Amino acid sequence: MIKLKINDKNIQATEGESLLEASAKAGFMIPTMCHNGELEHFTSCMLCLVKEKTSGKLFPSCTARAMEGMDIITHDEEIAEARKVALELLLSEHAGDCEAPCRVSCPAFMDIPLMNRLNAAGQFDEALEVVMKDIALPGVLGRICPAPCEGACKRKPIDEAVSICLLKRAAADLHEKSPEFDKNQPNGKRVAIIGAGPAGLSAAFYLQLKGFQAVVHDKNTKAGGALMHAIPDEKLDKTVLAKEIEIIEKTGVEFKTGVEIDAEAFGKLREEFGAVVVATGDYSPHMDPWGLENNGRQVLVKKGSFLTNLDRVFAVGNVNRSVKLAIRSAAQGKEVATAIDQLFNEEPVTGESRMFNSTLGRLLPEEFGEYMKEGSKEKRQHPTGEKRAGYDRELAQKEAARCLHCDCRKPDSCKLRIFAGEYQASKKRFAYSERKPLKKIIQQNVLVYEPGKCIKCGICVRLTAKQKERFGLTFIGRGFDVEIGIPFGKNLEEAFEKTAKEVVEACPTGALAGF
Amino acid sequence: MQNTIEHIIQNHGTAKEAVIPILQAIQKEFNYLPEEALEMVCGFTEITPAEIVGVASFYSQFRFKPAGKHMVKVCVGTACHVKGADLVYDSLKRVLKLEGDNDTDPDGVFTLEKVSCLGCCSLAPAVQIDDVTYGHVTPGTSKNILVDFIERNNKGARKDKVVVDAGNLQGEVRIGLGSCCIASGSEEIRQAVEETVAKDALNIHIKHVGCVGMCHQVPLIEVVEPEKPTRLYAKVQPGDIRYILEKHFRPQGFFKKLKTSFEAMVETIQDDSRWEGIEKYSIDVREKHVAAFLGEQIPIATEFRGIINPSDMDEYLSRGGFSGLKKSLELSPGEIIEEVIRSGIRGRGGAGFPTGAKWKMVAQQNSSEKYLICNGDEGDPGAFMDRMLLESYPLRIVEGMLIAARAVGATLGYFYIRAEYPLAVLRVREALEVCREKGYLGKNILGSGFDFDIRIKEGAGAFVCGEETALIASMEGRRGFPVFRPPYPAESGLWGKPTLINNTETFSQIPWIMSQGADKFAIIGTEKSKGTKVFALAGKINRGGLIEVPMGITLRQIVEDIGGGVQNGKKLKAVQIGGPSGGCIPHFLADKPIDFESLDEAGAMMGSGGLVVLDETDCMVDIARYFLSFTQDESCGKCTFCRTGTRRMLDIMERLCEGKASEKDLEELETLAGWTKKGSLCGLGKTAPNPILSTLRFFREEYLAHVNGKCPTGKCKSLVEYSVGENCIGCTICAQQCPVDAIAFNPHQRHEIDTTLCTKCDICRQACPVEAISTG
Repeated sequence: MIKLKINDKNIQATEGESLLEASAKAGFMIPTMCHNGELEHFTSCMLCLVKEKTSGKLFPSCTARAMEGMDIITHDEEIAEARKVALELLLSEHAGDCEAPCRVSCPAFMDIPLMNRLNAAGQFDEALEVVMKDIALPGVLGRICPAPCEGACKRKPIDEAVSICLLKRAAADLHEKSPEFDKNQPNGKRVAIIGAGPAGLSAAFYLQLKGFQAVVHDKNTKAGGALMHAIPDEKLDKTVLAKEIEIIEKTGVEFKTGVEIDAEAFGKLREEFGAVVVATGDYSPHMDPWGLENNGRQVLVKKGSFLTNLDRVFAVGNVNRSVKLAIRSAAQGKEVATAIDQLFNEEPVTGESRMFNSTLGRLLPEEFGEYMKEGSKEKRQHPTGEKRAGYDRELAQKEAARCLHCDCRKPDSCKLRIFAGEYQASKKRFAYSERKPLKKIIQQNVLVYEPGKCIKCGICVRLTAKQKERFGLTFIGRGFDVEIGIPFGKNLEEAFEKTAKEVVEACPTGALAGF
Repeated sequence: MQNTIEHIIQNHGTAKEAVIPILQAIQKEFNYLPEEALEMVCGFTEITPAEIVGVASFYSQFRFKPAGKHMVKVCVGTACHVKGADLVYDSLKRVLKLEGDNDTDPDGVFTLEKVSCLGCCSLAPAVQIDDVTYGHVTPGTSKNILVDFIERNNKGARKDKVVVDAGNLQGEVRIGLGSCCIASGSEEIRQAVEETVAKDALNIHIKHVGCVGMCHQVPLIEVVEPEKPTRLYAKVQPGDIRYILEKHFRPQGFFKKLKTSFEAMVETIQDDSRWEGIEKYSIDVREKHVAAFLGEQIPIATEFRGIINPSDMDEYLSRGGFSGLKKSLELSPGEIIEEVIRSGIRGRGGAGFPTGAKWKMVAQQNSSEKYLICNGDEGDPGAFMDRMLLESYPLRIVEGMLIAARAVGATLGYFYIRAEYPLAVLRVREALEVCREKGYLGKNILGSGFDFDIRIKEGAGAFVCGEETALIASMEGRRGFPVFRPPYPAESGLWGKPTLINNTETFSQIPWIMSQGADKFAIIGTEKSKGTKVFALAGKINRGGLIEVPMGITLRQIVEDIGGGVQNGKKLKAVQIGGPSGGCIPHFLADKPIDFESLDEAGAMMGSGGLVVLDETDCMVDIARYFLSFTQDESCGKCTFCRTGTRRMLDIMERLCEGKASEKDLEELETLAGWTKKGSLCGLGKTAPNPILSTLRFFREEYLAHVNGKCPTGKCKSLVEYSVGENCIGCTICAQQCPVDAIAFNPHQRHEIDTTLCTKCDICRQACPVEAISTG
């Protein structure tokens, strides 16, 4: 047995054990990407750097063996900075989007590419459920949303953007069974919402799903707010709105319509309810006595949480913004539900957090072909029939198939993404030169290899060698230009006669991913 | 093709470790690696497709595209770089009409490539076409060398060698046949000597000696007459040989004598300045500058330089060769190690690890197999010590290896020699053969019961393989990826067995230590750095070459006394030491004694010992960028900090050289350099930032000038423009030589350069007879 200290804790390790393993046993998890317990280690990513206390030297813990009398630190400011720099260097050559640009530019952060893929497969029920994870009023927004997502679509410079907004409408219009939602058990906590517009309705819907009892107050007799009262019928068929309000109501939301809230009523709500959400649309002078900090036109809120100056009072929707946008209001309604959940769980109230996101930027014209490998070559489809009609099933499928699958196939398991988030790494810091032109190498229905997302850890090379693949993968070239490739220009099918699933599993990033 | 491949495999075996020799053999056959051939190899051997492609694409020696008939190699070593190698490369590219990535001309005659160092630093800038080396090439003469090469080539094969009667010798002529001598034309000198000897029937011994070290005087010949002081002739031409020889030696036989005198007279009448002319080549070792060049030097690794024939065993023995080994055979292994420890010698490869301690570690390992490797993978641009030692003193190195093998209990030895050193490989091979013949290698060496043999492994072009773990990977037939230490090779090296790896120079000093005694070695040098160090002195220096000096000597002594000062009366700016792992020592620190510690303090390192002298016209930012681009290119790509860190640093350096960097970029450069140094896996990455950090430390103002869009020395092409000054005499030479017609042909008028057409090739500036063209 070897005795050593890790983070001032006395540890015993076995002969030949790495510091990474010894630390893990002692409860200190060291980040690593290139390490794979099944394979010989390769010491590539350098994320696992630890420090020897006496010399101050940094070295890779995946390879350094635990030795008698060592005094090791696994986490401190310097080590964190070293890891951050390593991540930033890797990100500087990382050519890929974690999330598709359409999703990133959607105020509600709706999983557009997934919706597209389900639509393309004709699975409109599932597509709707995906939309409603983030947008409580899909049919409504499928009609009135100005679709900032389509401006960001990677297909746009190639021919025309995918018709995302109409596809969202298609999911809402063409679904057959009523959507099902993951719903928490009621937690007995009540939240008052003032205003039944897009923000209030959304807040109510997502609060219900989280187990709260939402009670929506509105001065009008009909719910819908500006959607119901300010948008002309020819732009928005009100029966669509009514149908979606019904879906929301079905989750158990209580509506108190035709109630005017004055200062006194507001005070009462604050006493009666665990939290209050102000979603009144406009801010009007008659609200001054409520005591909400404001600038005369908008209520001032904290970014992310939508907390106002008043304890347990939130404000979402147009009441906190000067630029009016229904999708933004709906998004805030969803986000405030998370903040309220945090409030009741006595967690820091910060609102929704998003994972680190790598962005590719503009495609180069010579890269169009690589991306087009994943989308149908058809031109943008336009609904037939009357003005403002939506897609029928066939056209919706056809249009959705134009989506290029810009989103990463391993958004949740990619270690580069996870650690980049953890160490707050910036992709831009070392973006000094043009990226290498990207490639997508596809084996239909099996896997996709994107060299631009590779961190050159060689796990796949060692794995295919270990499993005695005839061709497998190999390092080609040297230094910065090194690439993982298939010997003798063979294709993916020949490279992986037996290990396709294994390499996809073992690849720490989205470079090798299941189709 | 199949027959060829089968034949190659028969020669090299089917094991995985044979991959590099097999690839080298294929390339020799086809002048590139046809994919079909590689697939065939996989069919016949244990080597997998992934392995063969991985290895072939790692080493820069291998080509995947057919090459032209002749290889044009432009040396971009440090000395050549500071003398404008890039401009020469650009001009060759233009002359050969190469566009984009294409490296072979449309007719498939020439393939152009850059090589990191040909080791002819004193002839910089140098270009090698097949086996002909051209020195002092300029953009303006680049076309001429291609023409000259074609002409030579058309002349056909060389004549047979002449046989000389060994009895009744009149004397001896020594011809330096080190690589730099050969590059400067000593091969032609040899032919001329042989021709004269045959023609005049002179009974003299023509002797090939290794590098003399005075590379600034090559080609050199030395004439030895019995009972007379030897005469040294420098920078001789083939046509002069006959006069030199006839001055010293009488032709044999009356008739021949008459005939030759008559001929000589005829020729003398044609050019009566001949005799005087020869005198101008003559230099005497007692002359002041020669004495100065040699004076401060202490030859240990280079003992008897210019005197002994590299592979002549009898001569080596007669000069005390193998006495160190004989003495060691009388000692126990422990006693040998004690002696080495007492000498204080530290590894000459760069990092300066105590040699004795390393030997002790290997000796202590309990293993029935132990290996010993002589690291001759010298890859630093601007360094050629190992090459010269291997070419000139192979027997001494073998002796050093034998002593080490006996001390540590090694069972088999290897020379690992860089691919670019064919002559070194040849000389070592000859030396090993003669050692085997004479019982210095093989079973029961000198009747001592000690068995040992040595093999040769050739590198394939990867600087990183100088790092010992990468070297081992390469020897085992893998990509040259370094691995984390410990375990050190002393514990687990080649094939997982304890392995002693020492630098060539270290081994070459061991015999002296053993024969002369450790104490004699230890009194030379400084407190912590004992003995001597061989340096390759090049750059802006009057007398460049190979020198062996005591540790603790100052840079000023080297530059002023040995090197005869900076060329062209310019001021010393800095000395780049240690190549891409080292740093620039500024002129104001030139009086500091050089040893491992002092160099470390100054942010440089000993490295393998390249010393490149820089003068006031050299741009320090450009020098730092040059070294970084070398290491960046040589990074193996394994660890993040080196693979991507060096690339991003180079991005910033390139911005600086284009005047596009901001002060923030400069800060980021420094930060990144720090992390790359700290976080890289092996020595290559850990030292790659040194050239930047040391220049930032001593020449920060030059970096700031580049941030402000100015290159103070005018070396950074993007930041300068060429213009013609008032002193132009309108001679039109520049206009005639401009390859892109950027200067109009207007006789007797002040010329003008159209900067929109100008490619900044520098031809006009060099051609102008009145120095009217300037950059600014």
